[in-house]
Amino acid sequence: MIKRLVKIGIRFWITLASVGSFVGGWIMLVHAPKPAQLSQPAGDAASIPTLEPLPPLSQFNSANNNFQPQQFFSVQPRQRSFFRTGGS
Amino acid sequence: MMQTMQFRAMNTDILLAAEGGGAVEGMQTVKTFIDDCEQRFSRFLPESELSRLNRSAGEWVHVSNDLLEMLRISINYYFETKGIFDPSILTDLKWIGYVRSMDEIRAGGATLPPLTSKRGHRPAFHEMTFHPADNRVRLPRNMEVDLGGIAKGWIVEKAAYLLNTYSSACGVSAGGDMFFIGHPSDGMHWEVSLEDPRDPTRTLRQLRVSSGAMTTSSVMKRTWRQGEEARHHLIDPRTGESARTDWLSVTVISPDIITAEVYAKAILIGGEGELKNLLEARPDLTFIAVDPDGNLLGTPNYKDFTYESTTDALSSIGIAD
Repeated sequence: MIKRLVKIGIRFWITLASVGSFVGGWIMLVHAPKPAQLSQPAGDAASIPTLEPLPPLSQFNSANNNFQPQQFFSVQPRQRSFFRTGGS
Repeated sequence: MMQTMQFRAMNTDILLAAEGGGAVEGMQTVKTFIDDCEQRFSRFLPESELSRLNRSAGEWVHVSNDLLEMLRISINYYFETKGIFDPSILTDLKWIGYVRSMDEIRAGGATLPPLTSKRGHRPAFHEMTFHPADNRVRLPRNMEVDLGGIAKGWIVEKAAYLLNTYSSACGVSAGGDMFFIGHPSDGMHWEVSLEDPRDPTRTLRQLRVSSGAMTTSSVMKRTWRQGEEARHHLIDPRTGESARTDWLSVTVISPDIITAEVYAKAILIGGEGELKNLLEARPDLTFIAVDPDGNLLGTPNYKDFTYESTTDALSSIGIAD
């Protein structure tokens, strides 16, 4: 009997605490100061730098261009990889 | 920092690589060692110890400890491979025209006149007799021995151990026979390019090996024409002629270089027909064969030694050439 009463009490307490916390939070938000609105005229905004447009990919395929994709990679043979199986 | 030295000896390209303070001095010492060994064991030099032994077939000859050791090792592998590895094929090799060094044959256009004689009888290698107590050996009459590969392997391994006394890590390569000791400071492995036997400028795969040996036998390296016949230097002792092989090259990885050298040759000559028997004797061997289309095959573990190089990876996604 006591055990049952304790269980009911805990449930009641959890419910009451949850509802109370929710309502308390709601009231705090309603009474909190609103965030300041930015209302500066557009002319005062710092001008945003513009970037040069990228050249089209087709430019890299033109005959007079030396672009080589692998130039982005520097594939250096490791110093010990000069051994070759050869054969005899 | 890895130091290297390249030079030509034993009719092949020698490459030494070593790390450590004494590397340069060690490589000079090793070069002298290899040059001395060539003077002793080349069949192309009339005053070499081997040439004197061959000229004295039928008589007891006093030989050095080193030559005796090589001959005894050879006879053991001759029995182990059931005669597929046979250093006594020299008379057959001469019969098909390999009487001068490959450098000289190439200088003459690698074309020789056709055969004018029949293959002569030669005694079996096991008829050679030893008297180890006083370092004497007797070759049967009409037998000549070419230590070729086995001597080269022996020299490479000794050279590597000599170089290691001057360095923290080193590798020695003599035209397909390689021996590595230690590991380079920038990694745990030595990297070796598996050459395409059809085009030596191309690499089929990158290999990674630790300390130990890697040797390659190829039917594409030492080739010439004798009349209308295409010849190479790997004699099949069963026919006495250049072996007709299933593969173009065989690379063997093994802790010791003589085993690697012998089995690279035996697997290439014996081909698929003898493969099972050969591997039964040495189940711990790793081999990689290259077939005429450039495909790789070998023992199941050969892929443990291969990896895709950075260049290969770029190529596979269309970036590199």
